[in-house]
Amino acid sequence: MVAELIRVSLLGGLLATDRAAGWNLMLSQPLVGACLAGALVNPGPEWELWALRVPIAVGAILQLLLTDVALPAAHRPRDTATAGIVGASVALLGLPRLHPSLAVSAGGILWVVIGVAAGLLSAVLGGWFARLHRTGPLTVARADALAEAGDLAAFERLTWGGLVRAFLVGAAWAWGGTILFLWAALSFLPRFSSALTARRAGVLFATLLGAAAVMAFHAHVRGRRHGTRWAALGALVTVFVIRGLGGVKP
Amino acid sequence: MSGSIRRGDLARAASRCLHIQALLNPERMQGLGFGFAILPLLKRIYATREERGAALRRHIAYIATHPVLAGFVVGAAARLEERRAAGEPVSDAAIDTAKRALASTLAALGDPLFWVTLRPLAGLLGVITLLVLPPPDTGSPDFRVLLCPMLTLLTYNAVALPYRLFGVARGYADAERPAALLRSLHLAERNAVLERVSAFAFGAFLVLAGSKLDIGAVTGGSATQSALVVAPLLLGAIVGAVGVRAWSGRPVEVALAALAAACVLAAWV
Repeated sequence: MVAELIRVSLLGGLLATDRAAGWNLMLSQPLVGACLAGALVNPGPEWELWALRVPIAVGAILQLLLTDVALPAAHRPRDTATAGIVGASVALLGLPRLHPSLAVSAGGILWVVIGVAAGLLSAVLGGWFARLHRTGPLTVARADALAEAGDLAAFERLTWGGLVRAFLVGAAWAWGGTILFLWAALSFLPRFSSALTARRAGVLFATLLGAAAVMAFHAHVRGRRHGTRWAALGALVTVFVIRGLGGVKP
Repeated sequence: MSGSIRRGDLARAASRCLHIQALLNPERMQGLGFGFAILPLLKRIYATREERGAALRRHIAYIATHPVLAGFVVGAAARLEERRAAGEPVSDAAIDTAKRALASTLAALGDPLFWVTLRPLAGLLGVITLLVLPPPDTGSPDFRVLLCPMLTLLTYNAVALPYRLFGVARGYADAERPAALLRSLHLAERNAVLERVSAFAFGAFLVLAGSKLDIGAVTGGSATQSALVVAPLLLGAIVGAVGVRAWSGRPVEVALAALAAACVLAAWV
């Protein structure tokens, strides 16, 4: 598990830098983070089927839930960059360890729900942790002094230091958050093993899906010019395409 | 290149624009990152340590723009610095005013395009890919784990990356024609098109998600049990709808509220 945690940690650092330093290449989107975590964390050959399916589902639901059209400055400080990584990693690392006491299949839905819950809680706690990356007045004063003195090399080092700090804070949280939520899952979930039935897992999953759909509507249609018309057109075209291809009935 | 600045300097500045928020802070916003990004250009324009330091001091003041479009401001500011170094009467205030005017306009045009429309759309297309591609047969590798994030990354960066790659050079070339520069970027027009694509994609997503819902597998198959799945879907939708209206900009809290409501319902079922 140590090797997996190191990989998760490095991935968390990379994604936190993407979000915090201004790369904004969208590596920090939950779907991307969860899928990359799924590719890096291997729970073992007997879990191969779920090792990739669970992270995609965790990432997709977190992506829909956490997409918000408010500008970044209007957001609460939540760490949505590492949420996908922590959620997917907790689900995958917990899967083989919890399976003896929570032998619920239901298409892996329970693990998806556990991953999404871990990701959401990780976003809250990670947001507080990410405050360690904040640039304070002392750094600003130091930058002023270095510019005044014409010490450009030291000014550049100050910026590189900010990048390294963003990476380290993200890496530390991805590592610590995964351990924290994995420990919580391993400690508490077996106590509820009799209550965690496939049907209840389905109810949790369906509720998350309903919320995700509405939040996606809020992000993509509401407030858009002719948004409802275009959404209806998209739905109609998809219905015709699915029927034309003879696929699943919508 | 009309002045002393070379293409390599512009490329270096463009690469440094990627780190423009490394020292983001409420007092200066992207000011320190802006100074870091423009530094290779200042080093080329000014020869002495004192001149470079004074120029850097000018550029680490407050500035707030869209990170994807910051390169245009860096390029335009470098051109003004170059004219000043050549002896033209360009004051500190003129450089600051030009920078701020361009930066705030780019922020006003860039935020709706990149944050409000393109970023959600890129994520949604990744999710739609998951719904469109069939799961692989047992034993076969699941390429969706690579294709879904790849489509998200490609969608966003296909639009954003050209602005980042050529922003500094364009800003430098068109520093004297900011209005023409802004018009040539077509930010508002692209946003209008992508808004429609985004709404269209949501319609497609709803149909695809509905077609994939395997209610029978969750509930055991009977009509009464299947109806039990509709209740949590509706509950989630209601919590989501109320939450996004009440807690704008707090999607994590809304999602956690939905999860809490789901736990109550699950305990009751």
